[in-house]
Amino acid sequence: MMDEERFEELAAMNALGMLENDEKRALDGAIARDKEVRSLTLELEQVTAELAYLIQPVEPPANMKKRIRAKMRARGVKGGGVSRGVIIGGTGWALAAAFAVASVWLWQERAGMTMQLAAASRAIAPVHNPAAPVVDDGKTRTLEEELKKRRDEFEAQKQALVKEIESLHKQETDAKAQSAKLTAEVAALKQQEQQSQLQIATLQSKVWEYRRSEMLVVWDQKRSQGVVVLDKMPKVQSDQDYQLWVVDPNKPDPVSAGVVTVDSKGSVKASFKPVEAVSGEAKFALSIEKKGGVPKSEGQLLMVGP
Amino acid sequence: MSQPELSEEDLLQRAGRGDSRAFDQLYDRMAPRLFGLLRQMLHDEREAEDVLQDGFVLLWERASTFDPDRSKAFTWAVMLFRHKAIDRMRMLGRRNRLVDSAVLEQTTLGEPAHAGVDEEVQAAERGVEVREALNDLPKEQRQLIEFAFLKGLTHHVIAESLGMPLGTVKTNIRRGLLRLRDLLKGGA
Repeated sequence: MMDEERFEELAAMNALGMLENDEKRALDGAIARDKEVRSLTLELEQVTAELAYLIQPVEPPANMKKRIRAKMRARGVKGGGVSRGVIIGGTGWALAAAFAVASVWLWQERAGMTMQLAAASRAIAPVHNPAAPVVDDGKTRTLEEELKKRRDEFEAQKQALVKEIESLHKQETDAKAQSAKLTAEVAALKQQEQQSQLQIATLQSKVWEYRRSEMLVVWDQKRSQGVVVLDKMPKVQSDQDYQLWVVDPNKPDPVSAGVVTVDSKGSVKASFKPVEAVSGEAKFALSIEKKGGVPKSEGQLLMVGP
Repeated sequence: MSQPELSEEDLLQRAGRGDSRAFDQLYDRMAPRLFGLLRQMLHDEREAEDVLQDGFVLLWERASTFDPDRSKAFTWAVMLFRHKAIDRMRMLGRRNRLVDSAVLEQTTLGEPAHAGVDEEVQAAERGVEVREALNDLPKEQRQLIEFAFLKGLTHHVIAESLGMPLGTVKTNIRRGLLRLRDLLKGGA
């Protein structure tokens, strides 16, 4: 895939919040480097946000403003946000209004600081009565509840991170085992190569979906036959097959070496023999073709090499 | 004499300068639409309330960064609240949970709401434009975009849930959103 299409894809998925962490990092890097990617990303975020015009409005609970105010105070947010709705008209009232607003603001600040001090004291002192309400409005949550909720949230977040780390450790272990297996396989094949005229080629793809896929070809030029090993290949659609090609420098078109069917894990090890003899130093390619294969490649080339 | 009604952009900018009455009015105008969005995304009244509460605290803190030349106040707020909702889903471990493919058929955005005051009329008019543009997309693209917008899932989970190849999901999302952008700009 062209870089432009890839970044369009990443920007589109980013706008919908669909990206995995590594993809988000890739996009952030491109945004930092490229003004056009940055502009496209912002544009698609705007487009996506406009979908919210189709959402049916739902009235929030009546005490929500008070809850927001209580949260702001609990967090010590400057300003306090939601007003108490004091409206005074006329220039003659301006000074009085300013004084009143300042007084209310100072009172709020004082009340907020008092609550923060009380909350801090409770946090470090033994709990005598955890259910005691400490917020000015009886309908809103107490600070104890708020602290408990925050603790629960952090705990849940911690558990999720622990699970993610365990999963990453497992992936790393699996990858190391797989790598060791392949290394051993390559070493064994290289030894065989010394005994016969074998050619070993490792192919990797520039196509984004295949960036983690691996392909190894062992080619016996004397016998004009070989073995292909594929791993981590994405599934193809039900009416398609992967097809292997041998590129002979003396022939105008790649020679078909047959279709290759991977298992549910995207892996396969299979021997192959091209439909025509190959005389020159061979290269190999893999493509997606119609089910059952085609005599001449029509589909997208996924891997070429060595 | 009645004062001309301030736009959401004016209110958000004033909130950014510390005007709590502007913030109050902004809450009255935006909260119902944002709460509707959060309820659809989170499927949990209590969680939606919590994210609405946290989101407005964040909106107050970040209002000074709003730039009216780059976005509308409402879309700016939607981005902020969606990020909060997705963070919450991630924390609750819901983003990687598969959903039934039948849910795709049921997960759709509604029709634009009927409007009263000027600002709501403008929002409803924009809603009609967005609905028309969405209806111009091929069904598969439209469904995927609506599903992704309301579910907040990763592309892998969406592909697996719907039994679609990952490439098809990505391609449809990319083409659909680019087309939607062009249509909303007034393109054919």
